[in-house]
Amino acid sequence: MNRHLVSAAIVVVAAALLGGCASSQATYVDPGSTRTLTNVGEINVQDWNMASEAMINSLIAKHINSGNLKGSGPDGRAVLAISRIVNNTSIQIDTDILVKKIRVALLGTGKVVADITAGLGGPEDPLAAEAKREAQFLGTQKVASRPDYTLSGKIIENRTRQGNKSESTYVFQMALATRDGLAVWEEEKTITKQGKRSAVGW
Amino acid sequence: MNFHPVRVVATAALLALLGAGCQTVNTTETAQPAFQRNMVSEKRVITDSSLARKVQIQGVNVSEGPGGFLKVQVELQNTTRSYRRFAYKWEWFDKDGNLVDGPASVAITRQFEGKESLFVQGVAPNATVRDFRLKLYENAR
Repeated sequence: MNRHLVSAAIVVVAAALLGGCASSQATYVDPGSTRTLTNVGEINVQDWNMASEAMINSLIAKHINSGNLKGSGPDGRAVLAISRIVNNTSIQIDTDILVKKIRVALLGTGKVVADITAGLGGPEDPLAAEAKREAQFLGTQKVASRPDYTLSGKIIENRTRQGNKSESTYVFQMALATRDGLAVWEEEKTITKQGKRSAVGW
Repeated sequence: MNFHPVRVVATAALLALLGAGCQTVNTTETAQPAFQRNMVSEKRVITDSSLARKVQIQGVNVSEGPGGFLKVQVELQNTTRSYRRFAYKWEWFDKDGNLVDGPASVAITRQFEGKESLFVQGVAPNATVRDFRLKLYENAR
């Protein structure tokens, strides 16, 4: 009798323990934390975060906070347009992951506005571009014809392998140019990762 | 003194193995620096005493540029003799104590050698920011 009770208890406890281990549920993680997945051969969320943080801090500290920003936009804000961001890596990436963070941060400074009617691949917002053209044609309001600044950049990759260790380096380069084509701010952020296989976190 | 050769070799090998993971840093600087840091008094809340023992805050200095953006620089030191990883994150607050969030408020991973000190810098996301908080994280895995 006692033996049966003990056996039943063991089965129940084992089932409870295994039930906890076999969980395959997806969990939410803070994308701004270090709990996101990282691997050597790709640009992961943490890498984009680190690159954008470095660019934003540098741009604010070296150009905006120093009082060098000159603007012709509303309330004297500088008008920024995004130029070409070259992906020189072996992986397919959407550079907007980086550019959008920088744009959001610059808009948040209260010193910069983004022109989404100007772009190399056509306007980001075609309706806004049409409205701007119309306003310029009718002369109903003062519309800046050219952005004060353009932001361009390049992402470069370098891979190395030694024994069973592999290393990936991603170099993020960005430049801010005036209407005259002069670069008034430049920054480079290098992120290097080493590993034997995909790993979680750092 | 009578040294057994096997013991001597074994001890040397053990010391070499122990020392292999440690790489410390020697630094030099001017005795009278040309700059004067605006050091601020800080309040520390330590919940991870293990991390606080390994990564120590040496000083915090704050400045403000012509644009009115707060700039904070914190000097950290690796008090151990081994290579350490840690992460930090800035939080910014306006004059009313409200959090001013932005894309740059993310955890940044840094590494330093044994006994090395380094600076981490943060710039406020806009000119309304009047206060800050620095969070330090230890590698949990």
